[in-house]
Amino acid sequence: MQKYISIFRISLQQEFIYRLNFIMWRVRNIIQILIFFFLWDSVFRDHHQIIFGYSKEKILTYAFLLLFVRAFVMSSRSNDAAGQIANGDLSNLLLKPLNFFKYWLTRDLASKFLNLIFSSFEIAILFFLLRPDIFIQFNLLNWLYFVLATLIAIFIFFNILMLTNFVPFWAPETAWGAQFLIIVIITEFLSGAFFPLDVFPEVVFDILKFTPFPYLIYVPIKIYLGADISFIIQSFAISVFWSIALWKITNLVYQKGLKVYEGVGR
Amino acid sequence: MNKRKLKFYIKIWSIMARNSFLSWLNKRSTLLIFITGKLIRYAFSFGFLYFLVKNTNGFGVFNANQALFFAITFLFIDTLGQLFFRNVYTFRQLVVSGDLDMVLVKPVNPLFRVLLGGPDVMDLITLPPILFVVIYIGSLLEPSILHTIFYILLVLNSLIISASIHIFVLAIGIITLEIDHTIMIFRDISSMGRIPIDLYKEPLKSLLIFGIPVGVMMTIPAKAMMGIISFWGVFFSIVFGISLFYLSLQFWNFALKKYTSASS
Repeated sequence: MQKYISIFRISLQQEFIYRLNFIMWRVRNIIQILIFFFLWDSVFRDHHQIIFGYSKEKILTYAFLLLFVRAFVMSSRSNDAAGQIANGDLSNLLLKPLNFFKYWLTRDLASKFLNLIFSSFEIAILFFLLRPDIFIQFNLLNWLYFVLATLIAIFIFFNILMLTNFVPFWAPETAWGAQFLIIVIITEFLSGAFFPLDVFPEVVFDILKFTPFPYLIYVPIKIYLGADISFIIQSFAISVFWSIALWKITNLVYQKGLKVYEGVGR
Repeated sequence: MNKRKLKFYIKIWSIMARNSFLSWLNKRSTLLIFITGKLIRYAFSFGFLYFLVKNTNGFGVFNANQALFFAITFLFIDTLGQLFFRNVYTFRQLVVSGDLDMVLVKPVNPLFRVLLGGPDVMDLITLPPILFVVIYIGSLLEPSILHTIFYILLVLNSLIISASIHIFVLAIGIITLEIDHTIMIFRDISSMGRIPIDLYKEPLKSLLIFGIPVGVMMTIPAKAMMGIISFWGVFFSIVFGISLFYLSLQFWNFALKKYTSASS
């Protein structure tokens, strides 16, 4: 355990080495939230209007929570694992008395911890500047489910990212390409990070809810905003299923990948 | 610039473009992944806006077709900029390694070489469908010939503004060795042009008009097509674009004198 605490501490220090990278990632998040916020702010003509099941205060709360949940779920360092596999640096890690998954999960947690602190400040500043009407959830159970759903989301995202990272075991030249397609495009769009998934026609949404993506961003926020109990139970059932299934698949693919890993470049 | 020189630079650009395309064709699987990703991104972004405006009949004072036209104009101008100025993203390596020396000693304008030296094949492939959507949604606005001419002129003006900002970024790169983040800041801020800047509140709105000219680049061309920009609005936008281009050239010349040829 002590060695992973050390990795956590070193990872935090490393985040501050690449300060500009970190600031840029935060700036990018804020800009996306601003676009989201002003777009929806302009769509609502009055406070009583309901669009896609959202009142104005609920959709603006979605924008603010997005900043927070996105920072917590999608910030990571484990995307570097793809490059390690592609250029042979993975050999260094394999020689150390470390568990590959625990190592990267620890580094991810350090990144999330830092992003969480910064996103809290950003939310406070944006709230002060924009002064939106937001929805405050007073039901403690919804808060509890929200935290639980966010923790499950972290685990699902870690596994999706890891599976994407393993593509270079078989195709080293596509390390960045695979991350671009699966993480930057598909995961971000289908998770609700750009817009609430209720915007899709019902048939599309019904298919989407059986994939792991909505459980990353959309479902935790929806639970906070006061989803009914049947939605919550169904969401937990599907997301727990995906957590277990993806964890099994990730381990299996990693073991298969190690067998074809040649450490090219080392 | 005389006719002979223009022909010379067109020839150089076509050679550089061909080389850039050939290098991408050597990485076909990566090319395919990126093009698929870009097309999915466009489909999702545009699909979302389509469903949104269909339900709300537009946003703010703009109706559904106008809202979609702002979004597609942003995409069109952004893609044009990426197509021509993609080489800027590789400039830092030239400066930090001192390899910029090799560009400076050649009998070709170095700015031309570093700004336009690597057209992006992916954007060339995705541009025709975007242009088709621009024409389709544009036709739904029923613009007059004059408004269409204004639109074309202002899109060209946006390209000049985009070139100017990329030149500023290159010049800053020489002075500070920093490129990647400066260009990404510009791209992120320019992405705010997906929706008309009229929808943002002050002081952000003023920043997007007078600071980083996202409004002039993205919103004004679309407004011209809708016939809600006067002749003088078009005129001053073009004067602004040309002035910015002139300033960027001056800044580039200033920065070039600061180049130390380190590591070479």
